[in-house]
Amino acid sequence: MRNFNFLLAFALLFSFEAFSQKDSVTVLDEVILTDVRLLHFSNSQVEVLKDSVLKRNGRSLTDLLQFNSGIYLKENGLRMVSSPSFRGTNASQTAVIWNGININSQLTGQVDFNTIVPINYGNVQVRKGGGSVQFGSGAIGGSIHLQDEILFNSEFENELELSYGSFDTRGLDYRTSKGSDKFAFGFGLNYRASENDYDYLGTDLQNENGDFETLNLNMNAGYKLSEKQLLKFYHQSFLGDRNFSGTLTAPSMSKYKDYNTRNLLEWNHFKNNRIHRVKFGYLYEQYKYFANKERPDFSFGQTNTFLGNYDYKISFDRIIIDAIVDINRTTGDGSSVMQATRNTVAGTLLFKHQLAENISYDLSLRREFVSDYDSPFVYALNAEYHPNEHHTIHLNASKNYRVPTFNEIYWITGAGSSGNPNILPESSYQLELGYGIQFIKWNFNWAAFYISSEDMIQWRPNDTGVWMPMNISEATNYGLEASLKYKENWGEHELVWHGGYFYTRAKNDEISKDLMYVPRHKATGNLSYAYSTWQCFYQVFYNGEVFTTSDNSEELPGYAVSNVGVSKKIQLTRNLALTSKVQLNNIWNKNYQNVAFRPMPGRNIQLNLNLNF
Amino acid sequence: MKITKLAVLVMLSTLFFVSCSEDDAPEINPTPIEEETSDPYEDGLLVVNEGPFQNGSGTVTFISEDLSETKQAIFEEVNGEDLGNIVQSMTFNDSIAYIVVNNSHKIQVVNRYTFERVAVIDSDLFNPRYMAIANGKGYVTNWGDTADEQDDFVAIVDLETNSVVETLPVELGPETISSNEEYVYVAHQGAWGQNNKVSVIDPSSDTVLKTIEVGDLPNTMQWDASGSLWVLCSGAPSYAAEETNGSLVQIDVTANEINQTFDFNTEQHPGGLNIDGDKLYFGLDGGVYEFNIDATELPSAPYLENASFYSLTVKEGKLYGTDAKDYASQGDLLIYDLESKELINTLIVGVVPKGVYFN
Repeated sequence: MRNFNFLLAFALLFSFEAFSQKDSVTVLDEVILTDVRLLHFSNSQVEVLKDSVLKRNGRSLTDLLQFNSGIYLKENGLRMVSSPSFRGTNASQTAVIWNGININSQLTGQVDFNTIVPINYGNVQVRKGGGSVQFGSGAIGGSIHLQDEILFNSEFENELELSYGSFDTRGLDYRTSKGSDKFAFGFGLNYRASENDYDYLGTDLQNENGDFETLNLNMNAGYKLSEKQLLKFYHQSFLGDRNFSGTLTAPSMSKYKDYNTRNLLEWNHFKNNRIHRVKFGYLYEQYKYFANKERPDFSFGQTNTFLGNYDYKISFDRIIIDAIVDINRTTGDGSSVMQATRNTVAGTLLFKHQLAENISYDLSLRREFVSDYDSPFVYALNAEYHPNEHHTIHLNASKNYRVPTFNEIYWITGAGSSGNPNILPESSYQLELGYGIQFIKWNFNWAAFYISSEDMIQWRPNDTGVWMPMNISEATNYGLEASLKYKENWGEHELVWHGGYFYTRAKNDEISKDLMYVPRHKATGNLSYAYSTWQCFYQVFYNGEVFTTSDNSEELPGYAVSNVGVSKKIQLTRNLALTSKVQLNNIWNKNYQNVAFRPMPGRNIQLNLNLNF
Repeated sequence: MKITKLAVLVMLSTLFFVSCSEDDAPEINPTPIEEETSDPYEDGLLVVNEGPFQNGSGTVTFISEDLSETKQAIFEEVNGEDLGNIVQSMTFNDSIAYIVVNNSHKIQVVNRYTFERVAVIDSDLFNPRYMAIANGKGYVTNWGDTADEQDDFVAIVDLETNSVVETLPVELGPETISSNEEYVYVAHQGAWGQNNKVSVIDPSSDTVLKTIEVGDLPNTMQWDASGSLWVLCSGAPSYAAEETNGSLVQIDVTANEINQTFDFNTEQHPGGLNIDGDKLYFGLDGGVYEFNIDATELPSAPYLENASFYSLTVKEGKLYGTDAKDYASQGDLLIYDLESKELINTLIVGVVPKGVYFN
């Protein structure tokens, strides 16, 4: 089941002829996946993170992507707000897609990657580049897909994990799932709290006011109404209560409480080569910011989103057509954002054509009608060619966009800042060429990309000194990504290597300077070795130097951070297994900052006890 | 052979001696050098740069008197430490400079000519803004907690011990502060809110003697040669609940009363008052205006056009304007000759240049 995604993709590529004859069992497998678009469209540049990788770094999306992808992450101190830069784009140009719906904040356009706990998902997919136009706004650099797994016909399984580590960090994780022939259910809970008072290396200062407490809940359920109908429900909540730590030069008294909840109900009807899906979703986000945690005053913002989605997919011998209609109504308000409503209707058409046995292409078209601004027509074309079973070449071209957020349009004019009702969406054109070699033991992929963006939104003071968002700059990003996976098994031994190198240039065309906080070089490496019930790993990531001013006059040095871990599994009874794990983070005690003046912790330890029953 | 060994021994012991003397025995200096008369930053301009908004450090840029040499981040270079986050202002007292660092809630006390740190005042300050010297003491305006409109105060600093000895509660939003022989005057711009007062502190008793109602949002004050105080008020901006006009107010400091008020139009919000001889200068709507202190009405046209600055300083016929650009890169210092109205120099300074001072 876990490899289902990959298998299906594989099946698609090499046995397309048989596609229309697939029986309803295969169709069921497909409808269990909520986001079918992941399977068939623009999937050549997808990195799937699952299993041991997800277990190792699955506590936060920041950790997971830091060590396992080319995405550069900025954290305002450990576990504070974390934002990505994907292929040199900004934080609101990476879309996060939860079970097929875009969950980027309507207020900021971003997702705080420290509020996503990936470990409860079946897998996390990283889609590079602009092939994700069908997911709507923000998928310029790429998109991150969180995919719940609904497991019919599965054993009743429970997993409890307790952890304790440096800086008085305590964690509790619990997961359970059970599936009969007709009904399946899954639940996950993650609690984490920490004093987070690590020393700033090389100074006599500490990370003050950085303590936090977070709770994450995941739930999913599936019910087969009949042979041809399936009902699914997904839920996720995150509650954060974090104090925001100070910097090397300024103390902090602030506190941030955020609450996010996402609910999705989906009905599927499938018959022969057709699938109908109807989805209803409700998303709520809220934050409260206390500039001084000892005072009752706070500023806040919240949005409510109701969405409906109808998806009709039909498959023929060599052609798949998928038509989607989305309606979306978002209302937002806050202490700094005026009450506003945004209605969106979007039509998406996806078309895939297997031109010959080894050539396919797909086309994505999307047009949105939004009540409060003009949204551009966006499209993507992706073509794949397999000269033989070991080689894949792909080419992708797209136009993408990022909608202005509620903050950018509706920020209340006052205290020297204002929203801008005339702001335009950011848009980009991109081109990508990639090549992959796959063998049983290893695979190697590289891709070169080029992104040209315009109407990039920045907050600047206007003529009268009022800060407001404006469409100021144009940017050009280009780069090269390469990754290598290698796996060797002998007897009870298993050795796995996974690593990559990522070269990125991102330039502000207006002033011909590099964009801030985009490292030219990033590299990752993960080596794991398992023998019988023992497992150990070494992982490292390297971020090259970044500029911290827009004129490139100041920079932060590059750094490499490494973790090691070892674990041992003990089967206590037939139904009870215990795994204990020790992990040392930043073993070389590297003094580094990924945001200027916000040091990250030195060497630290984490102990885990995992019970499986 | 013996001689070689001896030489090595001497050399080693010298090394040891030198390294020792640096740390522990400064009094044993083999070659005492006569103190040079010229300190590195004795003659020239000091530009105080706020630094980046959220995380970072402000800096001080030194520019030599002939403008030929610019040196960035001199505090960091001399003291091996960051100055602090959001450097707001600098105040001189003899050879000492007090650098007020808003978001780090401290004042760095340095020798203004060498920039060697003398002390740091880091307790009993909360969002400090500006400092004035009177009666042998320092007076520092503090916003307190920006969410609390009742906790604003003036911290009184003992200049011998470099510590806050008393805090004097004042009205909302004390900003610029200035003193004459007798009193200390505080302009209450209003912090994040708005205010319209100038309060008068008696430094002999350290009490608030009086508050004078001026225009809305008083931002800068200047003394003229006759000893009266000019206060420039920007008025409430267009995005305020009610937009109000800017005004230029002259205060008679013998009676501590308003002598005269010049009102701008409602949409006009001037700032950056300076004085050079008997001429006042201020910035308004992208230009710099000149106003003779004896004039009976406000100027109708700018003296300098297309001159919009983040901060504005006038001294001896020259105008020093700063450009903060995008607030995330090094700013510029632009120097104009006020007589010819020509831009005579543009120099690169630090991030968000806030003020220009003269050594």
